[in-house]
Amino acid sequence: MAVVYMRKLEEEPETYDSKFTALTKGVNVEVQNWILNRINNSEFILEIGCGTGVLASKMAQKGNEVIAIDKNFQMINYAMKNYPSDLTGGKLLYQKGSFKDLPTPAGSQDVIVSKFLLSELRPLEQQIFLRNVWRMLKPNGRLIIAAEFVPTGFWKLTFKIKRWWYKKKLKSLRIKSTYLVKWFFKYLEPIGFKINTQIKWKHGSIQAIELQKVTDNRTIEPGYYRPKAKRFKGFRAQLRIYRCIFTGQVDRVPIEPGIYQSGNPNENSPIIVTANYEFTYIKVMRDLKGLDAWVLCVDSNGINVWCAARGNDFGNIQLLEAIEATDIKNITQRKTLLLPQLSAGGVAVPQLPKNSEKFPFRVRYGPVWSKDIRRFLDENPIQKPERMKLAKFTLYHRTRAGLTHISFLFRKLFILPLITLALLFSIFLWFNKLWWIGELSLWIIAANFFVVLLFPISEFTRRFIFKGIFFGIINMILIGGLSYLIHNNLFYVLWQLCFYFWITFFSTMSFSGYSMATSPREIQEEYPIFSLTNKILMILSIISLTLGFLFLT
Amino acid sequence: MTETNLESFNFTEFVKDVLIFIDKQVCNGCGLCAEVCPFGLPQPHDSGKYEISRPELCTECSACKRNCPTQAIILNERKGCGCLWNARGVAKKAKKGILNENSCGCGPVSENTSNNSCCG
Repeated sequence: MAVVYMRKLEEEPETYDSKFTALTKGVNVEVQNWILNRINNSEFILEIGCGTGVLASKMAQKGNEVIAIDKNFQMINYAMKNYPSDLTGGKLLYQKGSFKDLPTPAGSQDVIVSKFLLSELRPLEQQIFLRNVWRMLKPNGRLIIAAEFVPTGFWKLTFKIKRWWYKKKLKSLRIKSTYLVKWFFKYLEPIGFKINTQIKWKHGSIQAIELQKVTDNRTIEPGYYRPKAKRFKGFRAQLRIYRCIFTGQVDRVPIEPGIYQSGNPNENSPIIVTANYEFTYIKVMRDLKGLDAWVLCVDSNGINVWCAARGNDFGNIQLLEAIEATDIKNITQRKTLLLPQLSAGGVAVPQLPKNSEKFPFRVRYGPVWSKDIRRFLDENPIQKPERMKLAKFTLYHRTRAGLTHISFLFRKLFILPLITLALLFSIFLWFNKLWWIGELSLWIIAANFFVVLLFPISEFTRRFIFKGIFFGIINMILIGGLSYLIHNNLFYVLWQLCFYFWITFFSTMSFSGYSMATSPREIQEEYPIFSLTNKILMILSIISLTLGFLFLT
Repeated sequence: MTETNLESFNFTEFVKDVLIFIDKQVCNGCGLCAEVCPFGLPQPHDSGKYEISRPELCTECSACKRNCPTQAIILNERKGCGCLWNARGVAKKAKKGILNENSCGCGPVSENTSNNSCCG
């Protein structure tokens, strides 16, 4: 289903309903009728995310007192214009508002309705949504939600393809896409809901669910959801690490945001805040070595701390959201959050609410690397020693970054041309020349390997174009030497030199994002010259490679 | 700086040329900038205030500026991250006349960017 595309339709309230119906192939009308059937009369109803107000007015026409909110002012405006003229018995009030700050008093509503809102919410926001709704409902009150879910089995595949297609479309329109409702059902019981009825359309990709508020142990406050402990040791965790190293740059690898435990923390244990990238989580947990601590993973969208901080995925918003959605305020007496030092590029401490109930914490920036957390907690230095605060691009980090970079280059650029070449060779029945493609791939890897290994000697300049030329020359000698050893054919190697140079020049430039000390200004200023040089080198390389291949192999 | 100088002093022009700078009048010497900078650029000065030692090494990550309790740090920040693919996106968009947005979504961005990322 293509609910993801509703982000585009929302821009024009006049056509929203008809276009959304077309998008869901009429299912949203069925959803609406199903919800209306579940509604009695003379009840207090709150609709969250009312859109153009069609459902809200129909519910009011059934004789209910309806308050309908939406955060989109245009939508509210449009809904008001179509205010039903034949309200007998019912009441209808439109308001601008959001689930974060519901306008009704606690325990006042019989039914709360929300359709196609869940996929707009991040996982922790979904929990905040459920908790806020729980508070507003009367005992045994009902929450009726309709949303897009990921179907199971074969239909998951078609769902993913459709979603991918619409996401591409949204990307070209530069609109942020919606979130997948991934872990939603897990939240229900801990927060205090049970499922009454559930109905599925389109193989389960659209579902409507009626939930009932449960008030057994919790009389005033809803419960909290906490993700299950996640393994960070052993073979499978190691495989996850490799998965992150090789593909984590392109596909995000998020774990559930929330509170995790290291060791057996109690009310005197420290709170360590980190990102919800699986690699980050595994590293931090391993480095804590069973130290008793609470680990709070904020929802950084499956991105590592540094990149997330720079990209608005790990900032004050995410930190406050994690504190609101979890019970971190209540589980420990220690009111200090230990944040990763590199999150300082996103978090702004002076802008956090001070001494408020929402944020009763003090913030401290810990060490750069998680391996120093234990020592930092032991020594509690007023000023961190250099080794705890400087980001050095060591051989270990370079190797890991190099692996990620190579897999990135192949996936984004080289794999398609190489496969096409291999297919062409097969068509021409040149099976005995397939090795040539393997050789090209090997040189791409080798070029990157030498850059990674020798990177520190290029520190005489900060300009990546110069670094690229420098390594290009080095690699012409190194790879040229290797190639000569294999082929024992000087002419052939000379014909390939241009390719060695280009691939190194390009890889060095592309590696800029992995080296830690690059500034956007420098790269942006270098880009035009790089782009031109790169194009010329690429064309020359392709020509010389082809000639070399045709006449010398 | 004398009074007459102050009148002709153009702040915007001054900031354009400077990459990063700690205003000594405002700095209270708390040292938080030195704690968050991953390259150790802010260094304590004899006066008890901090100074950026080698501004040319700054990567404009804004950590010090964001967290400075007295807002003493002036940073001429370029949006984006120091990455070729980001620079490519910026150059492409500049051609189309769209400024200050990142293609990969890993720099500071406006609200409407897609959430495809190149940063794991």
